Amino acid sequence: MPGEGEGKAATLVKADNVRDLFDSVDLFLFDCDGVIWKGDKLIDRVTETLHLLRSKGKKLVFVTNNSRKSRRQYAAKFQSLGLSVNEDEIFSSSFAAAMFLKVNDFPPHKKVYVIGEEGILDEMQLAGFTALGGPEDGKKHVELKSNNLFEHDKSVGAVVVGLDQYINYYKLQYGTLCIRENPGCLFIATNRDAVGHMTDLQEWPGFCSFLFSSDNFQCFLNYIRLNYSPFVQLRNKLGTWVAGAGCMVAAICGSTQKEPIVVGKPSTFMMDFLLQKYNISTSKICMVGDRLDTDILFGQNAGCKTLLVLSGVTTLSALQDPANDIQPDYFTDKVSDLLELLGP
Amino acid sequence: MLSSGNCSGRVVSHSLSTATLNQYPSLLRLPQINSSTSNLAFSGGLSRSRTSTPRCFSSANPFTRSLFFRWNYSSRRRMEASTASNFAVRAAAQPLKDADQLIDSVQTFIFDCDGVIWKGDSLIGGVPETLDMLRSKGKRLVFVTNNSTKSRKQYGKKFETLGLSVDEEEIFASSFAAAAYLTSVNFPKDKKVYVIGEDGILKELEQAGIQYLGGPEDGGKKIELKPGFRMEHDESVGAVVVGFDRYFNYYKIQYGTLCIRENPGCLFIATNRDAVTHLTDAQEWAGGGSMVGALCGSTQREPLVVGKPSTFMMDYLANKFGILKSQICMVGDRLDTDILFGQNGGCKTLLVLSGVTTLSMLQNPKNSIQPDFYTNKISDFLSLKAATV
Repeated sequence: MPGEGEGKAATLVKADNVRDLFDSVDLFLFDCDGVIWKGDKLIDRVTETLHLLRSKGKKLVFVTNNSRKSRRQYAAKFQSLGLSVNEDEIFSSSFAAAMFLKVNDFPPHKKVYVIGEEGILDEMQLAGFTALGGPEDGKKHVELKSNNLFEHDKSVGAVVVGLDQYINYYKLQYGTLCIRENPGCLFIATNRDAVGHMTDLQEWPGFCSFLFSSDNFQCFLNYIRLNYSPFVQLRNKLGTWVAGAGCMVAAICGSTQKEPIVVGKPSTFMMDFLLQKYNISTSKICMVGDRLDTDILFGQNAGCKTLLVLSGVTTLSALQDPANDIQPDYFTDKVSDLLELLGP
Repeated sequence: MLSSGNCSGRVVSHSLSTATLNQYPSLLRLPQINSSTSNLAFSGGLSRSRTSTPRCFSSANPFTRSLFFRWNYSSRRRMEASTASNFAVRAAAQPLKDADQLIDSVQTFIFDCDGVIWKGDSLIGGVPETLDMLRSKGKRLVFVTNNSTKSRKQYGKKFETLGLSVDEEEIFASSFAAAAYLTSVNFPKDKKVYVIGEDGILKELEQAGIQYLGGPEDGGKKIELKPGFRMEHDESVGAVVVGFDRYFNYYKIQYGTLCIRENPGCLFIATNRDAVTHLTDAQEWAGGGSMVGALCGSTQREPLVVGKPSTFMMDYLANKFGILKSQICMVGDRLDTDILFGQNGGCKTLLVLSGVTTLSMLQNPKNSIQPDFYTNKISDFLSLKAATV
């Protein structure tokens, strides 16, 4: 759509441009869901691709909006999938929330109320903060009687909200009271994704291996296959989604009439944090993700190169829809295309 | 250096899909009470209104047909007028001095309940005598509440318990409004409503002959979020009604979201969007705005609001009782629901300070909602009257 910020349309990664991309980037930032894995299954040939990138001296960092696990738990997940990834290379939004409090000198005598799962609690505790709430409060009920006062801890200085399958009225009320009544209480959101994905699809092995070729005509055919393949349509139809963190965050917005500080994508908080850590400039970073409004926007907001993969939630038609105004620099079917194109 | 800036607010307001517009009349979306700094500032305008001509609405029932036209067509004009006048400087609210003059100038009094008639389960002082006095002067009394936990029948009982004689027909709860709205748009008999809310909504739907699913029962249903998770939902759900729900949980959120996102033309209706409510007289409680907000967050759609400050209930009762808006005085304790409701409807407005709003909140420079009058509580009608004798 016309307007400011309209870049040119995304370029398909091919043999003639992959080397330029590769050489100009020192650090690859990967989203996880839909890029590295889908549910509990690794996406085809990701291990070899990451190995290649590392062997060529590229730094790898994994950034996920999913706050249900801590970085430690994510490292364990990587390991169980046969990928050797260090905890330090992982930036989950749960970690980001704890880091936000840390860099903003959150007083140690204040507490954090968590509307979210274990991942957030763990990160808070690791960072040395006292956390209340979490899954435990999912079992609590509210008594509505005239004499019963709903008590809340007046020393809560921040409410952190993320995806919470145990959400209930008790937590909504607790978080609301803290934000409305404790002076200066922060309202932090790990992310605002409307939906998350819990796919456990069968992969279609070898599907993409014939797609790329140095022959132009073949490429044209491949383009048609990519766009119109019944496999792609079916795969996307079978995908299931679940209400995301955006839901819990909006619930608290509704009762407090305040907007949160968002630490996850597309907010650039995590980017600022890792720029400092790796002492690198954004032009040397490529963000690889499957979602336009979080991953790609995140990369663009920070000034990185962006590569959209179609192995997750975004389809080619969604990318090319005239209503879509987020255009990554590049797009490709999946991460292992880099391996295919770069060769040994 | 560190950016705490955020790209929040990605909740995008989508207009109703074409399928919905064709199936159901398009309705005016309310200006959103949207503030990060002030709870009271009125912002947003009619940015979400659609074409200037009302859609054709065929109905065999002349009542609903006229109701539809009146609400959809003229309400837009009124909203434009009141919005414009809200943006223009309104005179600051006057303390009520001559109660008689106000009483004589109107035919009907619309009262909010929480914070005006009662607080929690206790009646506010002087209320029975005040209502008696107004009735003896031949004034019509109507009670409008955003609280959707009870049906009108159940509210009738509450009034009775508190010693007030109020007829069920004089009560308009947002639970009733939701059912009345669906009736007014001829919600198909073969479709169902998924309810994220309490008993009141279920009872009103039943009364209106509308099939429903959900409600408090679904509060006991659990889910487990893990790969392979999949929830089935009834594809004949044609509307999701969301109101205050103390049994709120992930199951309901997911079910409601599925219906809205995947059932073509599914309506998303909110009884109200109150941020907080006074369920007990001791403190504030997260209100319906919370549950509605959650569904907005996952569907990225804005709901049709039937409760205050939407004028739906005002138009309904004006139509039903055949009364002119200029002959109505709205009495409430909340600026962004009660007073705005009255102003949107073109009525006189009286703020009472016996509920959630304090004088300093009213007089805060950030507050742009000014009622015509304000007073401590409704029994001032008696005492102020006496003073002028």
